Amino acid sequence: MTGRRIMTRAVARNRRRLSAGIGLTSLHQVCESLVPILIGVIVDQAIGPGDAGALVVWLAALAALFTALTLAYRFGARQLMLAIADEAHLLRAEVAAKIMHPRGIRTDRRAGDLLTVATTDTDNTSYLLDYVPRIAGAVTATAVSAVALLVIDVRLGLAVLAGTPLVLLALQVAAPVITRRVTEQQNLAGEATSLAADLVGGVRPLRGIGAEHAAAARYDEVSRRSLRAALRAARTQGWYLSASTAGGALLAGGVAILAGWFALNGRITVGELITVIGLAQFLMEPVGLLTLMPSRLAEARASACRVGAVLDAPALLPEGAETLDGTRPELELRALRYGTLDGVDLRVRPGEFVGVVAHRPADGEALVTILSGRVAPEEYEGEVLLGGALLPRLDPADARRTMLVEPHLTDLFTGTIEENVTAGGPLDAQALAASAADQVVRAHPGGLAHVVAERGAGLSGGQRQRLALARALTARPPILVMRDPTTAVDAMTEHEIARGLRALRHPGPGAFTTVIVTSSPSLLALTDRVVVLDGGRVAAEGTHAELAVTDDDYNRMVLR
Amino acid sequence: MTGPDQPSAGQDRLPVAGGRRTWAWLRRRLGAQWTGVTWAALVGVLGAAASVVPAYALGTLVDRVREHAPASALVAIAAVIVVAAVAGGVATGAGTYLIGRVCGHVLADLRERTVARALSLPVTTLERVGKGDLLARVSTDVASIGKAATSVVPSLISAFLLVVLSLAAMAGLDWRLGLAGAVAIPLYVAALRWYLPRSAPKYAGERRAVGDNARLLAESMQGVRTVHAYRLEQRRLHDIHQASHQVRDIAVSVFTLFTRFVGRVNRAEFFGLAAILVAGFLLVRDGSVTVGQSAAAAVLFHRLFNPIGMLLFTFDEVQAAGASLARLVGVIDLAPAAAPADGGDPGEPADTSIRLSGVHFRYDGGPEVLHGVSIDVAAGARVALVGSTGAGKSTLAAIAAGILRPGGGTVRVGGVALPPDRLRARVAIVTQEIHVFAGPLIEDLRLARPGASREEVRSALAVVGALEWAKALPDGLDTVVGEGGHELTTVQAQQLALARLVLVNPPIAVLDEATAEAGSLGARTLEEAAAAATRGRTTLIVAHRLTQAATADRVVVLEHGRIVEEGTHQDLLAAGGRYVELWRAWEAHTPTSSSRQAPQRANLVRTPESSKS
Repeated sequence: MTGRRIMTRAVARNRRRLSAGIGLTSLHQVCESLVPILIGVIVDQAIGPGDAGALVVWLAALAALFTALTLAYRFGARQLMLAIADEAHLLRAEVAAKIMHPRGIRTDRRAGDLLTVATTDTDNTSYLLDYVPRIAGAVTATAVSAVALLVIDVRLGLAVLAGTPLVLLALQVAAPVITRRVTEQQNLAGEATSLAADLVGGVRPLRGIGAEHAAAARYDEVSRRSLRAALRAARTQGWYLSASTAGGALLAGGVAILAGWFALNGRITVGELITVIGLAQFLMEPVGLLTLMPSRLAEARASACRVGAVLDAPALLPEGAETLDGTRPELELRALRYGTLDGVDLRVRPGEFVGVVAHRPADGEALVTILSGRVAPEEYEGEVLLGGALLPRLDPADARRTMLVEPHLTDLFTGTIEENVTAGGPLDAQALAASAADQVVRAHPGGLAHVVAERGAGLSGGQRQRLALARALTARPPILVMRDPTTAVDAMTEHEIARGLRALRHPGPGAFTTVIVTSSPSLLALTDRVVVLDGGRVAAEGTHAELAVTDDDYNRMVLR
Repeated sequence: MTGPDQPSAGQDRLPVAGGRRTWAWLRRRLGAQWTGVTWAALVGVLGAAASVVPAYALGTLVDRVREHAPASALVAIAAVIVVAAVAGGVATGAGTYLIGRVCGHVLADLRERTVARALSLPVTTLERVGKGDLLARVSTDVASIGKAATSVVPSLISAFLLVVLSLAAMAGLDWRLGLAGAVAIPLYVAALRWYLPRSAPKYAGERRAVGDNARLLAESMQGVRTVHAYRLEQRRLHDIHQASHQVRDIAVSVFTLFTRFVGRVNRAEFFGLAAILVAGFLLVRDGSVTVGQSAAAAVLFHRLFNPIGMLLFTFDEVQAAGASLARLVGVIDLAPAAAPADGGDPGEPADTSIRLSGVHFRYDGGPEVLHGVSIDVAAGARVALVGSTGAGKSTLAAIAAGILRPGGGTVRVGGVALPPDRLRARVAIVTQEIHVFAGPLIEDLRLARPGASREEVRSALAVVGALEWAKALPDGLDTVVGEGGHELTTVQAQQLALARLVLVNPPIAVLDEATAEAGSLGARTLEEAAAAATRGRTTLIVAHRLTQAATADRVVVLEHGRIVEEGTHQDLLAAGGRYVELWRAWEAHTPTSSSRQAPQRANLVRTPESSKS
């Protein structure tokens, strides 16, 4: 979907609220433009002649006008707010669903970028529903004022209608300079903010080497640069404000002088004079809004384009309709070339516990990435077979149900410990114990109900790893694939985990298959078979004990 | 790892300054800028006054028209209008700039003091409150004040001056006209007092909802591998949908409240305007003001609709900035990690030995974690501290480095008990907390030695074995690393920390690194780097890997805050105590696997000899 289509769709699917909003906003603007007209009328008809009856009548009219004005605003703006909030909500949900789709999304954007699209850009796109009625209202107000001025005096009307846009457009010349200065100022302010956050984030290492004064000095430098940029921006804005205030006052003053000239010559009445002056002042607003709108619309459009690009992005993985029926599938790689892998042949039989030792860490990573089933088929050569079926032909959800790949970089989600470990299956005390996650549960007063903060902050690396391991074991997948699952736990705990893993998934010839990429001797010692990857290929195979005796390279890799 | 790095639940927060203290601070900072403040006030008033003049002129014009004055009467009025327009424009712009300049200086001063104080807070305070609150203050609060100071406050002050001068001008026409205009003020105030207490919790709720929604989205997107692996798509989307709907509902309800506020503001506008028109009518009828003057008053008031609206609608932003200011002043007022006032100069240390005697320690209100620990590290020697998790190793290391102050006992360098700042100048510690400072790699290292030459930085990197990969980075030493930059591995980040130590070049080094996360290959690299970085220095090392203990001159085994064994690696192995248990676990010699790993020992014996200095 292009940006334009996203925008037209936004307008179309909110058309009822939008049209109500446009109608009421325009009415509000008409009322606003009638206020100076009415002031002129009251001076002319009531105050000048001293007519109390006229005063009462016209004040009642003014009250009615304000009532209409405020009600039009209240209900119009609410309709629009509902439309804007709904549209933003719908877009957020659509973008989130697209990004998280099981088949993945083919895009160059990074996670942070996608997040911006899902939050800021969806919001910006929804603001279109604010801009459209504002433009309509401004056009209406301009038209009403213009008609009123032309009715009072054609020459005055023309002078105001020509002069106002002219002054405002002339001021627009400065817009790019201001934008540049303000952007520069905001960038530097942002730089100072992130430097402060970064330095405070590293306050302990800084204090460790007594570098806090050097750090503060570095911050002062950026802060001063930011100050200079802020002053430059303020100066530019000051000049602009001078020009726009003076320009506006000269325009309104010029109109007043011209109208005064006509009034002195008896061409217009005193009330008309006041009305003209009031209208000339008032017109600056809607016309000013209209001159701002193109850049706002461009912003909304750019956001809509980004939203459209995400929603239109093709899926990464093919549809994959086949499903697996056997509960004990075999895993096989044939001549696999991907990343640093250069022709891996590997067969993991049902029920096997296989360790993989990679001389180059990248080989292990590539292997796990391929098995995660999140790589497009054209990005690798060779075949990945699960239960005899080619991985790309399988329904992604079904393949993942059969073969679970727990990512090495642990992602925990905000929620309780229990919610995190039960992501893949019901709570399982055995799995908690096998992963030594029961220690993590006990370490927190809240136990299983302890709330894990965003991305597991507040837990140590070892605690996060154990929770992730517990989550993987709790899911009880037929095939479980992990990479370096115990790097952040101490040697003693690693031992317990290795034994727990063996006891839980491989007590005897059983249903579960496990593949662990690791260099930990504790884990490897309990596997049935170890596969060594070197140079992107399988370099050696055997039990841990055999390899430890025969293979010096292997020893260097796995021993401490 | 327990101890310094473990944030606990139910933390204290940093203090917030009271209203009076915040004002006092602000007044003092403004006092320091008094010339700027004076100029800003003068020019601002001039600008507001010039903006009021045209309305006056208009009143005169109306009267001239009603008197059927000749057209020449227009000349003087036109001149006044043109001059006032130009002068008013210039003064308004200049005034806003001058106010902005004062705000900018105060703001820069504020953020620099806050950050400097944040970086020098006592570590015990940091532990008690956690980094989160402090981070929020130096980033969110500073940014919120910054935004207010640059975009809201200057125009707000201009608007305020315009309102005051317009009311004064109305009263100048006739005091009763001014009074009529002032009728609106209590109505405006009432509207604001109705709105603020209702909106504040709603805005807070909105921020929370937006935050929750963004967090859910961020977690799901950054954790998309896990979402896919566990087929959590529908569950996550359901949560996101709910959070997003919550944002929608709150946004709508906040706005509905706002429209009711606008209704009350409109009401105040109407009553103010009507009062002026009625007063004008009555005053014209008894001849105390002219028609022109009452028209001028009405026009003046109509022109105030926008500035008053601005004052009212940005009031909550200013309030929020005020709250942020109170939080920052709260940080500034915190006591720094100051040296205790003790009697006189303790003298110069005789050498670079370090001795801890009878050290006791407890974290705020917690149980005692060190019960009288004494360790002696001779000048140039290397002592390893081992023990299971929670034994108090990291706490002891922090005390040796002067980061924490012992509750009892002493730390002496070269026989002298130095005050904390002088102790810290002699001892550097590399801890488990890894942080790569965002920016060019070379600047990260220059934090350790400001102004270090490229050559010095390169040789420090070479010492820790990091020069090769550093040169191979996309832009070499100028590659932007850290948050948002080139991502370094855990091992590389640790090597940087060690390179910083080399640049600081302290006589005494304390190492408390987390080598476990690096994997066995990386850990060996780091062990070599640590040995090289501490060569020639008195070193206390928390041995997370026992090979580090094997290479030390002496090993101290700590359990539950007490020393249980002490001696050389060989002595302790022969003694058959706690150390042997730890060593066995380390070597992975459990009963089930001991027979499988015979070749490993030969490998180990080689290491201590080859890396001894």
